[in-house]
Amino acid sequence: MSLKTYITRLSFIAFLLVSFLSLPNSAFAQADELPTSEEAIANGEKLFKNNCAVCHQVQNKMVGPALKNVYERRELPWLLNFIKNSQKVIQGGDEYAVNLYNEYGKAVMPNFDYFADEEIKSILGYIKYQTENPPQEATADAGGAATEAGDGGGGIPSEYLTLIIVGFVIVLILILVVLVLIVTVLTKFINQKEDIDERDREFVNQKLNLNKLVRSNGFLFFVILIFTAVVAKTVIDGLYTVGVQQGYQPTQPIAFSHEIHAGQYEIDCQYCHTGVMNSKSANIPSANICMNCHTAIKTESKEIAKIYKAIDYDAETGEYGDNVKPIEWVRVHNLPDLAYFNHSQHVNVGEIECQTCHGPIEEMAVVKQWSTLTMGWCINCHRETKVNAKGNAYYDQLVEAHDGGDLKVVDIGGLECAKCHY
Amino acid sequence: MKRNFKLNYQMMTTNKIFQILFFGFLTVLVVSCKPGKDNPGTEYAPNMYHAVSYEPLTQITEKDAGAWVSSDEDEYGEYYNSNPNNPFGMTMREPAKNTVPRNENGMLPYRLPKDSVELAARTLKNPLPDTKEILEEGKVLYTKYCTHCHGENGGGSMDETAKVGKVYQGVPSYSAGATSQLSEGHIFHVITHGIRRMGAHGSQVQQEDRWKIVRYVQTLQKQD
Repeated sequence: MSLKTYITRLSFIAFLLVSFLSLPNSAFAQADELPTSEEAIANGEKLFKNNCAVCHQVQNKMVGPALKNVYERRELPWLLNFIKNSQKVIQGGDEYAVNLYNEYGKAVMPNFDYFADEEIKSILGYIKYQTENPPQEATADAGGAATEAGDGGGGIPSEYLTLIIVGFVIVLILILVVLVLIVTVLTKFINQKEDIDERDREFVNQKLNLNKLVRSNGFLFFVILIFTAVVAKTVIDGLYTVGVQQGYQPTQPIAFSHEIHAGQYEIDCQYCHTGVMNSKSANIPSANICMNCHTAIKTESKEIAKIYKAIDYDAETGEYGDNVKPIEWVRVHNLPDLAYFNHSQHVNVGEIECQTCHGPIEEMAVVKQWSTLTMGWCINCHRETKVNAKGNAYYDQLVEAHDGGDLKVVDIGGLECAKCHY
Repeated sequence: MKRNFKLNYQMMTTNKIFQILFFGFLTVLVVSCKPGKDNPGTEYAPNMYHAVSYEPLTQITEKDAGAWVSSDEDEYGEYYNSNPNNPFGMTMREPAKNTVPRNENGMLPYRLPKDSVELAARTLKNPLPDTKEILEEGKVLYTKYCTHCHGENGGGSMDETAKVGKVYQGVPSYSAGATSQLSEGHIFHVITHGIRRMGAHGSQVQQEDRWKIVRYVQTLQKQD
């Protein structure tokens, strides 16, 4: 190796070293390069809200890291490259980028290669402005106002109701005590009188003879009548519950709450029960529907871990294995084989709401059978429900035959035996 | 007098004991019929509730379940309805490999793999016409499958109506930035296979329905 090349290489290494050491300085220095004009910051704010705010906040971590000070943490060219095509930087093996990628659950940031450098700089200018002038906490006030507004509605709270009832009972007891006192005083007063009839005295002093009352024929008859009635009612009621599973609320292998999913988050029933419009059964959703959200939401929950276990998913690496096994949900609604029921017929064609038969599912933490699902219950609905004939040419002649009046399900054979039993 | 009272007393106690026993028996009888938390209750004609045929959403794995009502001569109980030839004895199976379901409009299943989003964006065209009816159907489907994350107006996490999207975070607005320029092929591919934080919805939403949703999403892209 010649001296010349040696020196060139040495100087090259030295240059690299120096430039590396001076990196932090240049990073701090670049903060001055960012635009500070009001116009640029306003433009940056608009761009930030439209393109970045979905995943990033300036002050807090969201899907992506908090962007506070980002212009001091990385140098400008790196930032420009990353924003324009983050995957290219990560695949290029940049250590910081790879760490960032892994830390944030391998969430891929979209490419913003259509941004001009000036636009990205104005976004960074907005971030710088926000870093230096953090907005005042306005959320706390808003939250307080919301809860206050929430308490305003509704009638008398239940605790007041109990208090009122207790008050009434106390008043009634007081009246009773006063009455008893009056009776005692009166009895004493009459007893002190000498000049009354013996029969009147007896009447005044008579005691209630419980024993005699209990043994009287009238009382016995009354008791036996009530007893027989109660027994008969219980037995008949009991017999009517045979084969009726209303109120059945089995414990499921995973504590899935319809109250949270359908109630609080208003996810449509059909998002998970996909078969309801075109199949006999509404279907129990497969685990991949759960995973549409639960790759990111509540990943640390014990119940969600049961899904992960069933589909052999590793929440740390985000990879699926082969050791899968079905989740054994317990069926709640079960019609006997003698009756045919089809969901699509009712929900798709009849446009019946799920809640008509299943009750307020969106309020049930654990689902239970709401309706009786007896034949009488089916028939009753078929008698009362109007056919949704509007805009359906199929029914035109039938509607005409009914003089344009109500066309009930019973009129199109809703009570025919063979409609459901065959 | 005293003896009489004693006799009476004894009679009363035996009566009472009978009464209590009778009531107790009744209660047990009635409670055993009635369904409760984990108990479906007594079944009338139980072999009708536990189908002999393979049902998609019930499965009884105990081999001697319902042996007491068994009328046939196989070794299993009346209620046992698992298929020993399937994994986990399940009665449901995946469709046979390399087969395609028939459908009314003769659409073949979408076959581009997940990583071909750019190819899909360039080449795919919506097979459904751009009509008012399709758009309306698309809106209904969008409300069912997309609203909770993307919001009624497609505003994503920023949309007030996106109850899940707000918690899930990172759901972009259709009409902002580059998202508003995405092609119909891209939208269809993303609904089918998912992208970034969005899951694959191909198994939930049928192919034709996905194209209807695409039509509606395109109107949301164009709004201000």
